[in-house]
Amino acid sequence: MRFTQIAIVVPFATLSALLSGCSPTVHDAAPLQEGIVYCSEGNPESFNPQLGTSGTTIDASSAQLYDRLIDYDETQQTFVPALATAWQALDNGKRYRFSLRDDVQFHSTPWFTPTRSFNADDVVFSFRRWLHEDHPYHNVNGGSYPFFTASGLNKLITQIRAIDAHTVEFELARSDSSFLANLATDFAIILSAEYGAELLARGTPEQLDKRPIGTGPFVFEDFRKDLIIRYQRHDNYWREPAAIKQLVYSITQSANKRMLKLLTGECDVIPYPLVEELALLDTGDEIKITSTVNPNIAFWAFNTERPPFDNVKVRRALAHAINRQAIIQTVYNGNARLATGILPETSWAYSPVDLTYGYNPERARELLAEAGFPEGFSFDIWAMPVQRAYNPNAQKMAELIQADLAQVGVQANIVSYEWNAFRRRLARDEHDSVLIGWIADNADPDNFFRPLLSCAALNVGTNRANWCDPKFDDLLLRAITVDSLERRKGLYHEAENWMYREVPLVPIANSMRFQAFRSDIQGVEVPAYGGLSFRHAYRQSKASAAASEAQQ
Amino acid sequence: MIRYTLRRLILLFVTLWLLTLFLFALNYFFPGDALTNMTGVRANDALAYQRLVSERSFDSSLFSQYLAFLGHFISGDWGQSLSTQRDVFTDLLPLLGATLELSVLAMALAMAIGAPLGLYAAGQQRGSMDRVVMGLSLSAYSIPVFWLAQLFILFFAVKLGWTPISGQVNPLFDIDVQSGSILLDILLSNSPYKGAALADAINHLWLPVIVLAIMPATMLIRITRNSMLEVLQQNYIRSARARGLSETRILLRHALPNAMQPVVRQLGLMFSILMSNIIVTEVIFNWPGVGSWLVKSIYERDYPVMQGGLFAIAALILLVNVAVELFHAWRYPQVRKELYAER
Repeated sequence: MRFTQIAIVVPFATLSALLSGCSPTVHDAAPLQEGIVYCSEGNPESFNPQLGTSGTTIDASSAQLYDRLIDYDETQQTFVPALATAWQALDNGKRYRFSLRDDVQFHSTPWFTPTRSFNADDVVFSFRRWLHEDHPYHNVNGGSYPFFTASGLNKLITQIRAIDAHTVEFELARSDSSFLANLATDFAIILSAEYGAELLARGTPEQLDKRPIGTGPFVFEDFRKDLIIRYQRHDNYWREPAAIKQLVYSITQSANKRMLKLLTGECDVIPYPLVEELALLDTGDEIKITSTVNPNIAFWAFNTERPPFDNVKVRRALAHAINRQAIIQTVYNGNARLATGILPETSWAYSPVDLTYGYNPERARELLAEAGFPEGFSFDIWAMPVQRAYNPNAQKMAELIQADLAQVGVQANIVSYEWNAFRRRLARDEHDSVLIGWIADNADPDNFFRPLLSCAALNVGTNRANWCDPKFDDLLLRAITVDSLERRKGLYHEAENWMYREVPLVPIANSMRFQAFRSDIQGVEVPAYGGLSFRHAYRQSKASAAASEAQQ
Repeated sequence: MIRYTLRRLILLFVTLWLLTLFLFALNYFFPGDALTNMTGVRANDALAYQRLVSERSFDSSLFSQYLAFLGHFISGDWGQSLSTQRDVFTDLLPLLGATLELSVLAMALAMAIGAPLGLYAAGQQRGSMDRVVMGLSLSAYSIPVFWLAQLFILFFAVKLGWTPISGQVNPLFDIDVQSGSILLDILLSNSPYKGAALADAINHLWLPVIVLAIMPATMLIRITRNSMLEVLQQNYIRSARARGLSETRILLRHALPNAMQPVVRQLGLMFSILMSNIIVTEVIFNWPGVGSWLVKSIYERDYPVMQGGLFAIAALILLVNVAVELFHAWRYPQVRKELYAER
């Protein structure tokens, strides 16, 4: 019967026509060789790091789109010139004068064409935006500048002015040993004053942080939420232009999906890989995993304004109730160090004395009884929906804590939201307790204290413990005004002791930051302080890879 | 036919209108401020909010609020997203293009596989191949899409390395989003690498298309087989045989057109099932379509986007169903006659 033959041939012809589409793709098409795909873990909140502290936002903006006045060189442990060529401290460190580079071009895009190169006005504009509440841009896009408020920089700088086109001067309220360190962070970026003025004239100031213009090595092209961020090389970059022509962030929130996309070659670089799972797969030498020591801390913060967490005995009891060693093994697969206080080992102010509570369920029950909760109580643990360098799996950590707490009669419910919603709600103090953490922005130990636990940090929503203790604040203030390292170290030790007594949060772990690469990708920089940089990244072509192998 | 068409179209408009009523009501049932849920403008943006209160008649009765809502809705002002502050309607169009591309291709594939296999099975009635085809189609029908998609990804993409697993095309081919349909966009683009981009896009497409096509294809196989068998029992087939026509001619000219009648009727239903599967598939394959957009908005409690996504999908299903019904009535006069005789 001929007809049935036709009937059976048609579907198979269709299928095979479809499958022929999956012949090996044209991997050597030029755009694929000249660009890099980075599978980032979430959407940036904006493209201006001044407005937030989220690592995702910083990775997508700071090092790619902008420059700072000075940079921090990790290997030399010194500050090096960036947009400023030289600087000097005057009046015993109460005045700083910066000389600016004069050959720096801003990005030229379809929505903005700069008519002049970088000068002192841009520096003044960028700093006054968050410094002066009456600046036309101060309240644009939220008007909250968490890093500057939390680090106290907004109180420290009293005046910034342009001396001439290429000299700016900062006046400080007092001499502060962390000032330069703060200027070298990913937050102290330089925006274009000309672009700001043009947007104001157009009546669309909010575009400043959404369609960014900077001086950095990449030019912003396009952002589609949950899908993609696209950058092109800035050909007039004042340093050596980037090696790649195009940089794409493919937004992939699921850690499993990121790993699969790395395996299929859709991602060249991924952050926060599932290290154990990757090790189990036989990936040959296609994929490399690297780790950097990351100055971070994962902690469990109690909302100390809410009962029963306003009772220090309850906080101590819960600190005793959880088995942190088990968490290190299960959540971090052993790739982390048990925290001994809030400062990680990498900080110069670190002291080796263990200032945490050991695992002791008996003692926890006693303390709970003393606090008036012999029968325990019930509360919420908020677990982050995303992986961070300090915590690869907050959900799992919350489950372990939940089980530990059940042992002492306390019932914990695990709560989670989408990441941006999570942070918004946290800032409004809607939580009982939260599993979160902190990555230092600079090498100064102050960065672990004031942004996290000072009264100033209450208003900007980075003080997750909702904790304000005048005595503690006083210690922190003294620690930044003295100059001697030894005395500062002593003061920070005292502050840590005070935290040990009061337990606004339970330090859990200091972990490594991992990233995984396709093995032909070279030169992606993951600085200990701050976000990723693709300025030196490039794709090693097969030919040159073979040549370098032959040389070996 | 005109009367029937009018009746269908009126029914379509009534249903769409009811849908707008439902969407309007949702704004009040969702937690939070109704005007914010509707427009995506928060009360702390006092200036814009005040302007909207009068624009949307929030200072007057519920009825005039609805009229204002309807007016804005029809003119394409669907509010702005709570999380991105971008216009919902403008964002929706390319997403709809991407979803349509996937669904049209999946539907076409399902028909190309399902109908011939159904005919083949009918021809082999109760033979061993019939059993094999029917057995396979039943088991494929019972596999949930989310599981099948994961399985295919693991096998074709990770194990064999034949295909990528997410998105429409390698993002490094800088293709501008215009229609949302990637094949069209590549053709419309002025990229110097059209050929390579097209190959890459097809490479991204085939796996989700197959995953989506399997469910409707299995349904088509069974419907086609059953209706073919029924038609083969009819007297006019018997008389054709008696007149000595060749078997192929009987099947192709006399049986097949009539056998397709119930198949066409079912296409609308199949499309509805396809649309619910497409939501899952889009999420799994990171396809930038309405489905994954809707799911995201639910996670983020982004009410204006949620409404936009709901309406787009519901309206699409309605439109396709009405179109199928109209085509069905136009193509098969006997259906029309039955319809009119009922009155």
